[in-house]
Amino acid sequence: MARGRYRVYLGSAPGVGKTFAMLDEGWRRKARGTDVVVGLVVTHGRPKTMAQIRDLEIVAPRQVEYRGGVWQEMDVEAIVARRPEVVLVDELAHTNVPGSRHEKRWQDIEELLAAGIEVISTVNIQHLESVNDVVNQITGVVQHETVPDVAVRRADQIELVDMSAEALRRRMAHGNVYPPEKVDAALGHYFRVGNLAALRELALLWVADRVEDSLQAYMADHGISRSWETRERVLVAITGGPGGDRLIRRAARIAGRSGGDVLGVHVVTSDGLSRNSSGLLERHRAVLEEVGGSFHEVAGSDVSSALVGFATAHHATQLVLGTSGRSRWAEWTRGSVINSVIRESRGIDVHVISTDEQAPAVAPRSWRLPIGSSHSVRRVVLGFLVAALSLGILIPLLARYSALRPHHPGPITSSAGFLVYLGVVVVVAAIGGVLPGFVTAFAAAAAVDWYLIPPYGSFAIARGADTVYLAAFVISAAAVSLIVEQAARRRVEVIRSRDEADAVRALADRLAAPNRPHAVLEEIQAVLGRQSVTLLAPAGEAWLTEATVHTAAPGALVGGGDPTGPGGPVRRPEDGEAFALRDGRVLVLQGPALTTHDHRLAAALVSYLEAVLAADRLQTQAATADLLSQGNDLRTALLEAVSHDLRTPLASIRALTTGWLAPDIQLSEALTQDSMAAIDLEAQRLSALVDNLLDMSRLQAGALNLILRPVGLDEVVPAALASLSQDCQNVVVDVPETLPRLNVDAALLERAIANVVHNAVRHSPPQHPVHLGAGTVAGRVYLRVVDRGPGVPLAQRGLMFQPFQRLGDVSSGTGVGLGLAVAHGFVEALGGEISVEDTPGGGLSMVISLPAHHDESAVDLDQLAAIERAPVR
Amino acid sequence: MTRVLVVDDERTLLRALGVHLRARGYEADLVETGEAALSRGATGSYDAAIVDLGLPGIDGIDVVNGLRGWTSIPIIVLSARHEHAQKVEALDAGADDYVTKPFNMEELLARLRAALRRTTPEPAPVAMVATPDFRIDLVTKRVTDGAGTEIRLTPTQWHLVEILVRNPGRLVSQRQLLHEVWGPTYVDQTNYLRQFMAQLRRKLEPDPARPRYFLTEAGMGIRFVPDRLADVTP
Repeated sequence: MARGRYRVYLGSAPGVGKTFAMLDEGWRRKARGTDVVVGLVVTHGRPKTMAQIRDLEIVAPRQVEYRGGVWQEMDVEAIVARRPEVVLVDELAHTNVPGSRHEKRWQDIEELLAAGIEVISTVNIQHLESVNDVVNQITGVVQHETVPDVAVRRADQIELVDMSAEALRRRMAHGNVYPPEKVDAALGHYFRVGNLAALRELALLWVADRVEDSLQAYMADHGISRSWETRERVLVAITGGPGGDRLIRRAARIAGRSGGDVLGVHVVTSDGLSRNSSGLLERHRAVLEEVGGSFHEVAGSDVSSALVGFATAHHATQLVLGTSGRSRWAEWTRGSVINSVIRESRGIDVHVISTDEQAPAVAPRSWRLPIGSSHSVRRVVLGFLVAALSLGILIPLLARYSALRPHHPGPITSSAGFLVYLGVVVVVAAIGGVLPGFVTAFAAAAAVDWYLIPPYGSFAIARGADTVYLAAFVISAAAVSLIVEQAARRRVEVIRSRDEADAVRALADRLAAPNRPHAVLEEIQAVLGRQSVTLLAPAGEAWLTEATVHTAAPGALVGGGDPTGPGGPVRRPEDGEAFALRDGRVLVLQGPALTTHDHRLAAALVSYLEAVLAADRLQTQAATADLLSQGNDLRTALLEAVSHDLRTPLASIRALTTGWLAPDIQLSEALTQDSMAAIDLEAQRLSALVDNLLDMSRLQAGALNLILRPVGLDEVVPAALASLSQDCQNVVVDVPETLPRLNVDAALLERAIANVVHNAVRHSPPQHPVHLGAGTVAGRVYLRVVDRGPGVPLAQRGLMFQPFQRLGDVSSGTGVGLGLAVAHGFVEALGGEISVEDTPGGGLSMVISLPAHHDESAVDLDQLAAIERAPVR
Repeated sequence: MTRVLVVDDERTLLRALGVHLRARGYEADLVETGEAALSRGATGSYDAAIVDLGLPGIDGIDVVNGLRGWTSIPIIVLSARHEHAQKVEALDAGADDYVTKPFNMEELLARLRAALRRTTPEPAPVAMVATPDFRIDLVTKRVTDGAGTEIRLTPTQWHLVEILVRNPGRLVSQRQLLHEVWGPTYVDQTNYLRQFMAQLRRKLEPDPARPRYFLTEAGMGIRFVPDRLADVTP
């Protein structure tokens, strides 16, 4: 018999509408004339889902008795006997009651499929075996009902039922998913936006993976080894050289755009020579893991073919390489990896990213360039040395071969001598500048005259033409010296202005730094290559060190204005150059003498520093002014609220006591009792207000003195309720004593809970008691205070925990709106959080969560029984 | 007549305390400073002391320490709510009980009576404790509910109940309970106490989630409050 078709609706979370979608499809197919029955449907009591069944035929479920209860399970036999074309079976991950035909419902479905019946079913992503641990990590909830992935993958069609996290939470808030009393800590935690988004992503990926599965099967069947662009896989080549982390981040961004993977590959060449030992490779590996990539090491004799081979094997779609680390020479002899990769990788996009690392801006940069505008003394001396050496070698040679020896007229004429010497002058001028060049020119002219111009052996010149030659030689040699010198000077200027531009750009970059004046000092120290840069402020006769930067420890010591501290009064250093700032402060630069160029740059940097200091000062002033005006607003609000709330009970008390004390009237016993009770109530109100004010000021002063002891919520909650007045007792409590304890200050937590409950009771209609529930999820204990009041609009929730806020509440009650602010402050001081959620079906739920004591788990009842059986006494 | 030494620096409160103590038949000696309290305590013989923690000059804790130097009379401290830490310190220094300001006069007097019972044992020890919700017969060790049906307690539960009901209105510290029921090596196992108290409340309290007889004062101890004071907040 042909196996039935199998279709599964996969949901990312409960409540997204799987059952609804399944029923809808069943009904549409029935309307088209197909024989559709409902094998089993779980409506969770949701009226909209129940309505969706419409006129679909339901095969009556089997009643199974187990442990005294009666359970309903799908009747497989009855369905097979009924032989419909299509059967709808909800929740395929369900575990059947023991004694059923199969252990799991998906096994029932297998039987139906084998019988040739088409099955439409539903499942939630969290029930799938392969994602179980991930779901546990995300939600902190252990799923016991799991189903093997194959049982779902086997389906002919999987349809994702998807809904945005916010939309699902809205459905929750409307009470369409769960009734409010069912929402406990675990469920509330489960339905946080972050969790829902993660689950949704998980579901999407799981379905996407299934698409990949079939694609891989197709590719393997057809012997295709070219990469197909289903999901981007970005391969990044890691050499372990500098700039690698930038490369990896870039690759991660490329992959991130399309939600793809990043694979890092390091090729170890088989000669073992390129093994990187700098430790950078480890760092790159860490960076790669940080961005969510995986690291792979491949061995190969040829880097490019190893890379391309790996890329093809892993279906990489993009390949990211850094610009060549090889020198021109190495590239010429051993070839360029980039070029061969581009040649070999067909079908893969290759990105070549510049890995040019900017030299760190703080590193002192040398401004002593190879050739100075006036050559350094060292260079001039070197020029003279070269001149002396070359002349010293050449003159004896001239002497040997010159016409000085009458019987052996030498082969060297005066013009040849001129040429040789001109060469020497050029070299000397290039090295030592214009002065050694000139000296060499004259010395050479003298040597040529002595040895090569008749009459030999004397400085006299016989022929007029020789005089002209000699003069021409001296002039051209001097000119060459000058030109060489000038060319060198130009080059220095070009390099210098480029460096100045760099310095300014680096400064601009540093404008974003939080401690801007300090950053500017660091920059000055680095750019000018100073040993130290110190900013001094005048303090009477002495100077205070405001900030200083040293070569040894850049970014060290920022002394305050305290004249006795380490940044205390100093004498203005005598050595070093001082630049006076307009506001009276002085910047002292210590280090080797500054050149005129450096001076110019220094002056520019100093005026820049002035500007930054001024801007900083203005910013501080603006911030202070802002704070002051805010403080004023707060004070005004406080005074208004407090005077109102203090005056109301005081007015009642005064009215009652003066009335009672009035000499002309004698109140009856009953009336006296009444007034006394009223006075007592008003006094309690005042007391509560003063408590809150006191707590608020303790919080703001940071003067909480915590006494941390392990206590259970079940111990704190009754005390909190007992502290509330009689009119605040409309509360239902469900706080089990088996929850882990909390290491908290019981008195503070009690206050926090009392305030939150008080707020909830005040806003809840009398027919709906406030519900207090507690639970534990993932090492935290949650207390939910659920009211059915009017709720608070999303936009105003941020204000709820600010002092002096009374949202949607005009009558004053007992608070000046301090209660929640105090609760919030206390819970945070205890390391917990308060969050606000909608109550399903209307109202507000406040959730206090605190870490469990020492990660205590829930109490083991068996262990307790053991303690009971064997008391020590 | 029972003599009570009262120390508080607020005259109005001191006057109110004096009036009500005398109205209840105590002899009240009122002083305003810790120094005066210590010198009076040394000369006069008192049966109990009520000490405010926030005193000018030497503070309440020092007064408790000083009094404990030569006498074991019951001491009740009065503390403002923000003096939680000092309250714990005072209990450690040997105070018997505490009352948080602002307080209910009835409650303070009930605490005073409970504390005085510790030093002056009643001629015939309590044989029966009855509330609208349960009756505990300390002689036959039987517990029955309001309707007369027997409630079965385990030996450990019984042990706990016995200690608590023999000290009505008094705060019995966690350490004391653990020490007496489980033994000296268990004095830090406050979690045991929490679990057994929860079991007990399920058996004896009408609403275990909101107890009215066996009140836990988190982190400090447990107080058995007979019915008359059940609505009084600590």
